[in-house]
Amino acid sequence: MSTMLEVKNVTKQYGDGEARVVALDGVSLSAGKGDFIAIMGPSGCGKSTLLNVIGGLERLSTGEVELEGERIDNLDENQFVGTRRGKIAYVFQQFHLLSSLTAIENVMLPLVLAGNNTDHRDEAMQILKKVGLEKRAAHRPSQLSGGEQQRVAIARALVSNPSLLLADEPTGNMDQKTSKEILEMFTRLNQEGQTIIIVTHDPAVARLAGRIVFLQDGRVVEDRD
Amino acid sequence: MKLYEMVAKDAMARKRRLLFAAFGIVIGIMTVVGILTVAKSGRAQIYEQLERYGPNLTILPAVSSVDMRIGNLSLGQLGVGENYIPEEKVPVVREITDRLIRESLEIKTDAPIATVSPELYATTQVRGTSVMVVGMDAEAQKAIKSWWMIMEGAYPTGQNEALVGHTAASILGIKVGDTVDIGDDKATIAGVLEETGSIDDAQLFIPLRMVQKAVNKEGLVSSISIRALCTACPVSVIADEINATVTGVRAVAVKQVAETEMGMVERINTFLLAIAGITLLVGLFGVINTMMASVNERIRDIGIMRAVGASRNQILTMFVYEALVIGILGGLAGFVFGTLLAFIIGPLIFKGAAISFVPSYLGVSLGLSIIVAILASIYPAYRATKVKVADSLRSL
Repeated sequence: MSTMLEVKNVTKQYGDGEARVVALDGVSLSAGKGDFIAIMGPSGCGKSTLLNVIGGLERLSTGEVELEGERIDNLDENQFVGTRRGKIAYVFQQFHLLSSLTAIENVMLPLVLAGNNTDHRDEAMQILKKVGLEKRAAHRPSQLSGGEQQRVAIARALVSNPSLLLADEPTGNMDQKTSKEILEMFTRLNQEGQTIIIVTHDPAVARLAGRIVFLQDGRVVEDRD
Repeated sequence: MKLYEMVAKDAMARKRRLLFAAFGIVIGIMTVVGILTVAKSGRAQIYEQLERYGPNLTILPAVSSVDMRIGNLSLGQLGVGENYIPEEKVPVVREITDRLIRESLEIKTDAPIATVSPELYATTQVRGTSVMVVGMDAEAQKAIKSWWMIMEGAYPTGQNEALVGHTAASILGIKVGDTVDIGDDKATIAGVLEETGSIDDAQLFIPLRMVQKAVNKEGLVSSISIRALCTACPVSVIADEINATVTGVRAVAVKQVAETEMGMVERINTFLLAIAGITLLVGLFGVINTMMASVNERIRDIGIMRAVGASRNQILTMFVYEALVIGILGGLAGFVFGTLLAFIIGPLIFKGAAISFVPSYLGVSLGLSIIVAILASIYPAYRATKVKVADSLRSL
């Protein structure tokens, strides 16, 4: 199995001197294509920071991150835009949809920003069908339930056909039933070959993943299949 | 969907914020358009009031070697001598002046426009004293010397009526109703002038025909004073045309008066525009403020867009689009309200001035408004591109 992601001895510190906080303290991790990895650990263990560093939302202090054999940790903001357009996509706990746009427009957003001049409505509609929301395409986020919003967010992440899907507590705000639906969706996507890294503190969520990485105080304390 | 469509949708969702931002510009543009419109409409009125400064063009006999007359000054001892202008030049000069004004102002009417006042100066004996008498066309003279005030009696209207200067009246001991001998004719004093502080005080103003007859200068005049009011045609242009086409005369533009008039109008305009500029500047800071608030309240949205693949330039572009919308809204509303403002305050500033709608100021206000909106957006938009994605998305 080819290597998708290589995290090499990554550290991340905030602040200086007395106020210095070490969020990541030498994390190494490797993920193959098609992996479904859950990152677990108590609050403040650095699991979200790790996801942000992998996704380029935050800069690391030392170490390296390679995606499909290429270093991405040293890219500047503008260069990283290319990585966000198609290689890495996010699903957030708070969904982070644009409230002024409808569901389908939110899904189209990454394609619009990537800037090819075709009409993206059909592509976006296909993905919305995949997450079972084709009937809600014209609704705004405020008219959708939490589960529906998260499905729109997943559709938005999938529309650019990313190599790596990062999800930060994607079911954190949901009741059990909705949570189950979302997780089933992740499982199905993984079965279709999608590489997924999911951050969670919920063991039930983690159980679905093929591999669980435990973080504590910014270090990997356990990595098991 | 295109990027601008997205901005438009977003803008529709935040109408109030946008209108608020545009408001700052509207106030500024409104002031500029209002002032420009009032100034334009009031200019005619300003010129009308400036007529009080006397003639702005004087026609003298070509042969005279020295400036015989500058405004009202240095006339006293001048030997008008043998230098005269044939009276038939008067309608010619009037025709040229009116034609030039008509052409430059695109007026169709054939009615006389400029005031043309022929004058004949002579020294003659009145009641045993040597006095300067001025032969005049009473009506034209009155229009030229609009500052004249009658102290006693009335302004002469009849054929044999005369007007006497304040000093001349007391030296000669004449009153309203008296008659004086002018050559073989008798002139009745219709009125006495209030003191003017000029040479007029020592003169006697008598119908032109009477003076011509008395001093044997029938068909001749000493000079022609012209009041040619025309913003678009400087009097020097009229003077040049007269000098080029009429023989035997020399037209002199009374530059001092003309330049004072122009300078006054210019200064008023500059002052008003300075006020408008300051208002616009205040509006600019208002927009910067609103745009900053707009950036701050959209930090999360900016973060989301960055996270799903927006480049910094795209974020910048979105804010520029937004500035354009604000600029266009502000320019349109500013023009409408500015014109309304002009209709309200115009008549207060220039009493009775007819304010006219100036469509070409729409372009001016749109242009200014867009420039101000873009200027105001530069810093906020720059700040927007510097938003840290992870920070903006962190749940609070």
